[in-house]
Amino acid sequence: MEDKKKYAWLSYIIMGSAQIMKGEYIKGIFLLLVEILTIVFGIPYFAHGLWGIWTLGVTKFHFNEQGVAVFDHSIFLMLQGIISILLILIIIGIYVYNVRDAYKAKEEKKTTLRDKIDRNFHWIFITPGLLSLVFLILLPIVFTILIAFTDYSAPYHLPPRNLVRWVGLQNFKEIFGLKIWNKTLSGVFIWTVTWAVLATVTSFFVGLMWALIVNSSGVKIKKLWRTIFIIPYAVPGLISMLIMRLIFSGQGPINDFIEHIGLQRLGWLTDPHLAKFTLVLINMWLGAPYFMALMTSILTNIPKDLYESSDIDGATAFQKLRHITIPMVLYSTMPLLISSFAYNFNNFMLIYAVTGGGPVNPNYRYAGHTDLLISWIYKMTLNQQQYHMASVVTIMIFLIIAPIVAFSFTRSKSFREEDLI
Amino acid sequence: MKGGYKLSEKILELNNITKIYEDNTVIKNLNLYVRKNEFITLLGPSGCGKTTTLRLIGGFETPTSGKIYFEGKDITNLPPYQRKVNTVFQKYALFPHLNVFENIAFGLRIKKVSEGEIQTRVKNMLSLVNLDGFEKREISSLSGGQQQRVAIARALVNEPDVLLLDEPLGALDLKLRKEMQTELKKMQQSLGITFIFVTHDQEEALTMSDTVVVMNEGVIQQIGRPEDIYNEPKNAFIADFIGESNIIDGIMLEDFLVEIFGVKFKCVDKGFDNNEPVDVVIRPEDITLSRENNGKIEGYIENVIFKGVHYEMTVNTKNYTFKIHSTKMEPKGTRVYLDVEPDNIHIMKKVR
Repeated sequence: MEDKKKYAWLSYIIMGSAQIMKGEYIKGIFLLLVEILTIVFGIPYFAHGLWGIWTLGVTKFHFNEQGVAVFDHSIFLMLQGIISILLILIIIGIYVYNVRDAYKAKEEKKTTLRDKIDRNFHWIFITPGLLSLVFLILLPIVFTILIAFTDYSAPYHLPPRNLVRWVGLQNFKEIFGLKIWNKTLSGVFIWTVTWAVLATVTSFFVGLMWALIVNSSGVKIKKLWRTIFIIPYAVPGLISMLIMRLIFSGQGPINDFIEHIGLQRLGWLTDPHLAKFTLVLINMWLGAPYFMALMTSILTNIPKDLYESSDIDGATAFQKLRHITIPMVLYSTMPLLISSFAYNFNNFMLIYAVTGGGPVNPNYRYAGHTDLLISWIYKMTLNQQQYHMASVVTIMIFLIIAPIVAFSFTRSKSFREEDLI
Repeated sequence: MKGGYKLSEKILELNNITKIYEDNTVIKNLNLYVRKNEFITLLGPSGCGKTTTLRLIGGFETPTSGKIYFEGKDITNLPPYQRKVNTVFQKYALFPHLNVFENIAFGLRIKKVSEGEIQTRVKNMLSLVNLDGFEKREISSLSGGQQQRVAIARALVNEPDVLLLDEPLGALDLKLRKEMQTELKKMQQSLGITFIFVTHDQEEALTMSDTVVVMNEGVIQQIGRPEDIYNEPKNAFIADFIGESNIIDGIMLEDFLVEIFGVKFKCVDKGFDNNEPVDVVIRPEDITLSRENNGKIEGYIENVIFKGVHYEMTVNTKNYTFKIHSTKMEPKGTRVYLDVEPDNIHIMKKVR
């Protein structure tokens, strides 16, 4: 056994050689195959990819002597570069494993294939997940982040006609420095935060109120009320939103009614301020049932003797609500409230379906009065092809939301008691 | 009530209390009074109405009929906060979102007591329950015993004249429960307030109380000092519920003479009809075993369990399996004869 270890150094050069000598043929052949594939196919691909991500292409779009279009597509080159880097990291991982494994003694015990599969069972299941994690999640994230440092945008920096350049921090400087960008960013950002807070708080408290009323002892046929209140939650959100858009539209039934009782038609969705109010209202209508259902179970879990002990202290109904019910409910729904905030922060569907970000704001670049950061990004990418700025804003959203989600996640029971499962 | 302990004035009186939930009569015509500085325990199996009685006194329920008087005044329909009564709840009823200090201060804050007074009163309470320095601790970081103490402090900070305790020690382990029993008793004596304690644990009731009220199915079975309840149970239910008992069918031949399974025993009871069938109650520790034939009940040892302080032996006789506690062990299978001293035989009228 020992003299075979002498050849372990060989696996620094030829992957899998030591394993084959040890008699671990399958493993050895696999490692060898990795090396061969890397050398034959990998190296040219990687070289081109790394060159591509570094330069983002050098050949401008032109027709050659034969009349064929010749060009470097910067974005494809960048993608190839990212894929190359990720693959190289994986291959380095396998290489390190190969060398370490080479120095390990072969297991004395006779192992059958079945044993091996059993022992490495977790790898069999984890590998597809790991690969998709790398290429379906990590890759797009890295790609998005990198776009923020380029000038990838219409009209002059759009492949294949033009090349895209690395511009360093210029986009960040512009979004904070250039007045029109800065104004849009701060305006949309303030509205996004206001919206997220209002949307969460209103549906939370209306839900709580409904739950309190429905559960109070005086109310008869509780199940009927509960069913009625839960219906908005049962209808697909997008359908409700589109119906709401009709109801609140200029010629919609609400305006008809208002006119009917002798008042002026209102621009529910077209007046900058009223539109915001309408959105909060619609979101409340959509979101409150969920909170009501949640609160109902939380309320019934508050021990009755808490209320009785405050009866002894002579607490009024309002004091009980303020000092017992609300703190107890907040105590158990805090993580949920935070994630609801994060959800509303990125509540693209409602804005897109109801106002489409409108009414138009001439002081903003590519954004309307009710656009959230996320719908602004949508407009910048899909309508205006301002990919570079959209990426910058995306990174900013990430920086805001990630800590919030991380915080609420680490505070959640499932995270803290992970080891107990 | 037989006993001659010092009698202070009555603080609380329950007159002809009946409580009916829908068609379920929980308390039937209950009469009870509580003296000042008394430690009184309502004892009974679950569903006997003891907690309901406590809740009536606390003001969380109103009786279907009957009156409750506090120092002579009718408080039957007063809300809880207008009574000089406070409750320690079974599950402590502490607020998980407040720390120890704020939990105790809660009632004072509701009553808008000045901040300075709150500080001193809460501090006093904390040292009373031996939790000095625990002000800032979260409730969830406390042990069961500590939470119990906070709950007591929270009730006592309002300076009630009567403290109601609803099975407050039920959730504690045995050792802690014993500690808290003595501590509660001490606390009650040093504070000089009335404790009304509810429990289903007969040992706890006997250890702590000045007076024990045994209840069953909404009816008071017996009121008395712990010794009286234990030694002179009024009926077979009490005898069975308080401590362990052998309850045997007997025939009262004449005054002071009872026949059990054909063997005549002298006893100290009288006032029954001649040859009246009665229940005879004998405590397991009151039976003496002898190997010599003394003409009493014959049997053999069926089983022996070591219980620490004593051995618990089951003795099989022709008609009944006796439970006997003794520090002296007789081996399994031994033929023995059972005898009882006259004043350890308790004769009870047959129920029904």
